[in-house]
Amino acid sequence: MSSDSEKEAVEKKPEESKPTETKPPEKPATAKPDEQKPAATKPAPAKKPAPTKEEPELPAFEKGIADKIIEKFGEKTTISFVKPDRVGIKVGRDDIHNVAEFARDTLNYDHVDSVAGVDYPADKEIEVVYHLSSYTDPTLSRQILELATRAQREEDPIPGNDATKLPSLRDIFYSVEFHEREVFEMLGVYFEGHPDNRRLLLPEDWADLPPLRKDFRNKGR
Amino acid sequence: MSVIAPNFKLSEFIKSILDNVFWFLLIFTLIGIPAVMFILFYIEMPVIDGELLTPFLALTWLADPSRSIPILKAFMATDLFRIAAFPGFGFAALLAAGTIFVERKMLAKLQLRVGPFYCGKVEGILQLMGDGLKLISKEIIIPAKADKPLFWAAPVLFVATAAAFVALIPVAPGWVVADLDVGLLAVFAVIGFFPIITILSAWSANSKFPFIGGIRALYQMVSFEIPLILSLLGVVILTGTLNLSEITASQSSFPWIIFLPIGAIVFFITMLAELERIPFDLPEAESEIVAGWLTEFSGMMYGLVQLGTYLKLYSFAALFVVLFLGGWNGPMIWPPFPEEIITEGIELGPVTAQFPGLPVFSQEMLNGTIWFVLKTVGVIFFILLPRGVFPRIRVDMLLDLGWKKLIGLAFVNIFIALGLLYAGILGPGGIL
Amino acid sequence: MSSPTLPPGLAIQKADERIMTLNVGPQHPGSGHMRIIVQIDGDYIVACDPDPGYVHRGEEKMAEYRNYTLNVPHLERPVIHDSCNILYPYVLAAEELLGLEIPERAKYIRVIASELNRCIYTQYWLAIYGIFLGHSTMFMWPAGDRELLIDLMEKMTGARVTHSYFIPGGIRNDLPANFEDVCLRQVNYFEKRIKEYADVFYNNPILISRTEKTGVLTRENAIKLGTTGSVLRASGVDYDVRKKEPYDVYDELDFETNVMKDGDSYARSRIPWLDMMESCRIIRNALQKMPKSGSVRVKLKPNPKGELGSVYKRIESGRGALGCYIVSDKKVEPYRVKLSVPSFRNLIALPHLLIGEKLGNMPSVYWSLNYWPVEADR
Repeated sequence: MSSDSEKEAVEKKPEESKPTETKPPEKPATAKPDEQKPAATKPAPAKKPAPTKEEPELPAFEKGIADKIIEKFGEKTTISFVKPDRVGIKVGRDDIHNVAEFARDTLNYDHVDSVAGVDYPADKEIEVVYHLSSYTDPTLSRQILELATRAQREEDPIPGNDATKLPSLRDIFYSVEFHEREVFEMLGVYFEGHPDNRRLLLPEDWADLPPLRKDFRNKGR
Repeated sequence: MSVIAPNFKLSEFIKSILDNVFWFLLIFTLIGIPAVMFILFYIEMPVIDGELLTPFLALTWLADPSRSIPILKAFMATDLFRIAAFPGFGFAALLAAGTIFVERKMLAKLQLRVGPFYCGKVEGILQLMGDGLKLISKEIIIPAKADKPLFWAAPVLFVATAAAFVALIPVAPGWVVADLDVGLLAVFAVIGFFPIITILSAWSANSKFPFIGGIRALYQMVSFEIPLILSLLGVVILTGTLNLSEITASQSSFPWIIFLPIGAIVFFITMLAELERIPFDLPEAESEIVAGWLTEFSGMMYGLVQLGTYLKLYSFAALFVVLFLGGWNGPMIWPPFPEEIITEGIELGPVTAQFPGLPVFSQEMLNGTIWFVLKTVGVIFFILLPRGVFPRIRVDMLLDLGWKKLIGLAFVNIFIALGLLYAGILGPGGIL
Repeated sequence: MSSPTLPPGLAIQKADERIMTLNVGPQHPGSGHMRIIVQIDGDYIVACDPDPGYVHRGEEKMAEYRNYTLNVPHLERPVIHDSCNILYPYVLAAEELLGLEIPERAKYIRVIASELNRCIYTQYWLAIYGIFLGHSTMFMWPAGDRELLIDLMEKMTGARVTHSYFIPGGIRNDLPANFEDVCLRQVNYFEKRIKEYADVFYNNPILISRTEKTGVLTRENAIKLGTTGSVLRASGVDYDVRKKEPYDVYDELDFETNVMKDGDSYARSRIPWLDMMESCRIIRNALQKMPKSGSVRVKLKPNPKGELGSVYKRIESGRGALGCYIVSDKKVEPYRVKLSVPSFRNLIALPHLLIGEKLGNMPSVYWSLNYWPVEADR
């Protein structure tokens, strides 16, 4: 959430983008979302002290969940907060799929409560937040696991055909189907691997910016 | 500021009156006098009291009440009266209107609300008239791709078929429009027309929901026609006739429902299905297919279909009464006419008017009509009642009911009737 | 900007001669403010594509322009019949962000208002369910009995449906004098009255034969699809946010959750009705335990600023778990408000339940999902 750490990440972009560019032989546009990874991973050391400061107050169970994820994925994830009943994890766009799979298979989260997209024009990023919850595991019934990942933001978006892309979690959590469709139309984040990336709520003839982006202004406001 | 008639001039007022007089005279001479001539020379007039009814004589009834009764009686003997007024359309339409009112009020009471209340001061008695006026004044919208002649014809055909059904019902001894020896067969034939009209109108509307509704109506009516016909065969076996008047007359001592209760129940259920009443109102299931085959009808076309529906409702209820409840038969409750009324007339205030042959209807006829109406209203009540109690049934359940259960029950009913016949208890030459 | 996707509805299979495509809604007596595109082969549904959004009003976007208090009246619009419950998670989340601790009496009054609203919503839903099945008496009875509770809410809040009663920091105004007695009397009568629905509706043989074993949602699928509320509990998952993650004073109250195992339309239609009786129990219990006096809200500074961070709160509404996610950036307005509404979450089950069903089952299955189109569209 804190814009400070994001700015750090933005500054460090040029150094980190080179190794990633070699890996996927894709369109040049896709190089940009790969910069995401450093954005999420790089601030990790800077962020880690943040939860440790509050350590005496941290609830034990939630801390355990967070620790399990950190243990498994280490540098790739960041704990953004640990509050009573709530754990927030930040993941890079390449690892979100693996983390979600881990959350389902090992941590017993079985469905997604909500998928929220948040636009950060200052960071040139769009955050997508998955709220994971569990019906089957009674110890998790109070818990919400917040998985946040970020996609690159384009100034002039062409939903579906620009670099604003994220891997879909629909093959892991079936329940994200409509939520991801909503995020796609409201923020223009295309979910790769989603079988049905169509409009959902907006009218068929909507030909404007995705409305939940910050540069779409309500009239008269 | 506003004045009712700001440019009022006496001269123009007088001129308008004179205009009206002129047009009246013109139209009267052009149309009225030829009409009188036409009646005089081409229409066969009845003979009353040994005199041929001439226009002069006909006009005298305005002055002499003693002449009016025979003329009225002569008029009532014509087919026109029977078709249009008493056992036919007018009577049925009146009962149908009453049915609509009762249905709305009764349903409202069942559902803890008021129902029609304001129109007509007394409990909304004129609501139906208001609705009719509204329907007449509404625009008739026809879908652009509809088959227009068929689409126009469908409501008219529907009402005409329902009226044909009405014509077959004997209301009182001798009071039936068409007293056919094949009365019941004619009823089956008329019932067979309804699905055709329904599917024609549904098809001609060229719209999806009417189409599905029409197909559903077709399924429903065809599959329920068979148990309907079979359930009535028991009565035919026991009476040995298809004439509805004779069937009614055969129940003077007991109605057939005593011996054929299964047939009556099967007929009642199939009747609900044929009438598309809840719980069998699938062709008009509004939450699935909007209004079914009525979706595209608007204005008075819809009103005509509604009229036809309620005429059909009356006819089916009346058929149930005629076949199972003994029609007009019942204990004599109409008081006999005093002898002096028949011979001398009645006193109206200070004047004693001479009305020879006054009771226009005979005592038996009035008594029979009362019993018939009472029974019909009772049956209609039971037809209306499920609407407040049951939800709608599903198509597959409906077909299952029609083809498997009701046909079986109808056969059981036939076997009961045959058993009673061959045991010599009932039927021609039976004990009872 | 060109849209790379097909408009809704065209993606389902191309119709051949046997298949008929029906647009059920948005102007249709059996759909509410949404469109369900169904393709039927004879009487069987072979494809179904729900198309919500007919009444999308951008509540989430609007919430980004108004401060925490001004968001209250418009955020309740998606479900005006359940307006207290849809505000509840927003208010809880806003209170956490603004750092408010609300008084005990306000918590109890919130619970009472929330349960009354749950009953009002469920009555409305039940009325529509009745008319969807062609049962007009079941349309009129709940619609009439609902007035009792609406009058009660009017006494309480001053408005019949759009109450705007919950505000960050408590509730808007205290209960009127003598409210407890009136409330107890009306709720007792109401409970007696809804028990009569069993005779005319829930034990009706035609209803049972029509809705039993139709649209069966198994336990596994209910969890996998992430359904919530009555849909989930009808499939045998005992999950009620009021029990599992009690908010305000629900942990001090005595009630049970209703669970059925069948997962068919009948079970789904029965659970909200049973829930109403539990609501009556909760209201009586809360009236008993409520502090008789005390303040009902904390005083807010004008234009309070939320602390940096995000909060996700959820409650159990008339339809299921209702979540609200607020991101704050230390401004007067929230940076982002996301309502995770139960209708939207239950909608995903609709194609799965409808495909293979008969067209005649469509209204009963659709409405048994406890779906409120306006809420899903937000």
